Amino acid sequence: MKVIEIKDLVKIYNESEVKVHAVNGITLDFEQGEFAAIVGPSGSGKTTLLNMIGGLDDPTSGEVLVDGTAMSNLKGSDLTDFRLNNIGFVFQSYNLIPVLTAKENTEFVMRLQGKNSKECDARTEELLKSVGLGERMNARPAKLSGGQQQRVAVARALASKPKFVLADEPTANLDSKSTETLLDIMEKLNREENITFVFSTHDARVVNKARRVITVEDGKVISDERKNGGE
Amino acid sequence: MITAISWKNVWRNKHRSMIVIVAVTLGTVAGVFVAGMMKGWSDQRVDAAIYTEAAHLKVQNPEYLNNEEITYTIPNYNAVKTFIENQSNIEKYTSRTKVVAMAATSRGNTAVTLKGINPDDEKKVSNLYEFIEEDGGSYFDVDYKNPIVISDKTAEQLRIKTFRVTTELIDSLKSLQVPENVLALTQEYEGRRFYSKTKFRKAFESELSKSDARKYGALIAELAKNYQLKAKIVFTFTDMHGDLTYQSYRVCGIYKTSNTAFDAMNAFVLQDDLARVAGFGPADFHEIAALINLDNSTEKVEQLAISTRFPEVNVMTWREMAPDAAMLSDIMDIYYFIIMSIIFLALAFGIVNTMLMSIMERIKELGMLMAIGMNKKKVFRMIMLETVFLTLTGSLVGMGLGALVLKITNVTGLDFSSVGEGFEAFGYAAIVYPNIEWSFFFAIIVLVIVVGILSSISPARKALKLKPIDALRTE
Ligand SMILES: Nc1ncnc2c1ncn2[C@@H]1O[C@H](COP(=O)(O)OP(=O)(O)O)[C@@H](O)[C@H]1O
Ligand SMILES: [Mg+2]
Repeated sequence: MKVIEIKDLVKIYNESEVKVHAVNGITLDFEQGEFAAIVGPSGSGKTTLLNMIGGLDDPTSGEVLVDGTAMSNLKGSDLTDFRLNNIGFVFQSYNLIPVLTAKENTEFVMRLQGKNSKECDARTEELLKSVGLGERMNARPAKLSGGQQQRVAVARALASKPKFVLADEPTANLDSKSTETLLDIMEKLNREENITFVFSTHDARVVNKARRVITVEDGKVISDERKNGGE
Repeated sequence: MITAISWKNVWRNKHRSMIVIVAVTLGTVAGVFVAGMMKGWSDQRVDAAIYTEAAHLKVQNPEYLNNEEITYTIPNYNAVKTFIENQSNIEKYTSRTKVVAMAATSRGNTAVTLKGINPDDEKKVSNLYEFIEEDGGSYFDVDYKNPIVISDKTAEQLRIKTFRVTTELIDSLKSLQVPENVLALTQEYEGRRFYSKTKFRKAFESELSKSDARKYGALIAELAKNYQLKAKIVFTFTDMHGDLTYQSYRVCGIYKTSNTAFDAMNAFVLQDDLARVAGFGPADFHEIAALINLDNSTEKVEQLAISTRFPEVNVMTWREMAPDAAMLSDIMDIYYFIIMSIIFLALAFGIVNTMLMSIMERIKELGMLMAIGMNKKKVFRMIMLETVFLTLTGSLVGMGLGALVLKITNVTGLDFSSVGEGFEAFGYAAIVYPNIEWSFFFAIIVLVIVVGILSSISPARKALKLKPIDALRTE
């Protein structure tokens, strides 16, 4: 079952005289349960691609379908609500609301969805335990390490039970040990919840954990490899 | 959840929020205090207008309003009086005779309206008897003939009020442990007589150092004040037959209300004493003043009842007799609202500014919130609530403090007498007892919420203009 369909996606930036083809004709599909890395050097168009998949940016041409729905047909609050219910996000940094605890941050998207507190409590506790923060549920982000904060962000991304999770360079600010832990956690949750993960990176150690590796360069896919078992 | 975030966001930058909160607190305290003062003032003025000066209703001969002729007594007095007596809403009323007269002593003269009253009835309708000055005698509680109650103002004009240093005054200064030089000067003044406080103080204080003058001048002047009770005042007026008549009265009491204009005009004598010389018959009265039972909102009904039954008389309510007081009490609510609105308008600039700063600092976070699915409505609500909380916190504290200040000053009163003579000339008390209704606080809360919401519009619009990817990209 195809969760994401990308058809001939193009993004051209027109800043100054020079046109930048940040994404230059990408066609890709993602199935449910995939654990895919988008790899490429800095400036190759990874962020631009993920933003368009996540409905945060409009393509110049082409389209993105999520579960059969064309993102370009959604506007304003409909698009925001669509993101809320279908996509989990993990950013490189500033993922969390500083005034809320780990538990409240995780719960936040569920509250936005209008879920009751019983449901929220159960799911957040389960997720925070899964990411190894069962003991730190009431800590505010400032009291957590960078790796722990990203783990809360992963828990938050999954709390809303999205169709897939997008993570743009989630490990860019982490040391290698935290990077490994985070990736292991993501992979575990990907299996347990059978939710598609698409993440970008230019870190070879991260690439090794992926079961599918899509390499982009100058806004084009130059290779798309699937591994069996994901080792 | 959003409410909780908004509340917590208020405390993110404690220092900055506290500045706004303190400003709002002070603004609210000031507003509550000023409003309380205005209200106290207005209430006191209305109270004085009704319970001291005018009563709720006054019945007069319509001609008397144009021309204060002694012969313009109330037509059909006995029937009118009986009618009023039988109104179930009126229990307290009094009949008065009035004569415009020239008053003279050997040292001064002035024009006053002599009112012939019956003290027992009069006390029911007017609380003027409570305004007899200390050392100012009594309200007709004397056994000599032809007693008169005049005001402090009239006493001054007739030079019945004097300022002089007595042996008792010196004794009491000694017991107050006044410095030697002040005491010595006071002793020098023994026996000298002044006819106005200003003159006494001017002379006395010019020989003192500035600080001594400030400390003891007013006190000594007050102690030096002396009313010459039993002093004889001769009144000249035209009687019922059009003949010029003389009659002397002896001062038995000195009153002082907060309305100098009223005081200057009114002197009171016993009805029979006046009737004898003026030639009034048993049904000759110039006014009937009446108080309505319980609440004074039925005064218009009673006014209509009397004037319908007796078209030949004029009936006025206190609102017509003291239009300034009536208007003041009517516009008070609007007044507070204007005061508070001005204060909050000024504060709104600070609030908007603080919120804008707070938004600018959080652009990246706001981008993240919108990206993960917080729609514009919720973002707006978050910012709006944050602004309302910021504003409400200060104003609640301010209302608490303001209420406390009012509670205290309501008992102690605020003495404006140093500038109060100006107020009293217009009928406003120099000592104000601030007061406020609870509904005022309710109105402030509503106002604060409205101000909070309005102040949040510009910051919220700023936030809503953000596109999540641009916001996330900013450093
Ligand atoms: N908002 C923008 N305006 C102009 N050019 C942009 C903008 N965003 C990205 N680009 C350009 O698009 C290209 C792809 O950028 P990006 O998607 O951020 O790559 P990556 O995430 O792989 O580093 C780069 O050349 C970058 O300079
Ligand atoms: Mg990037």
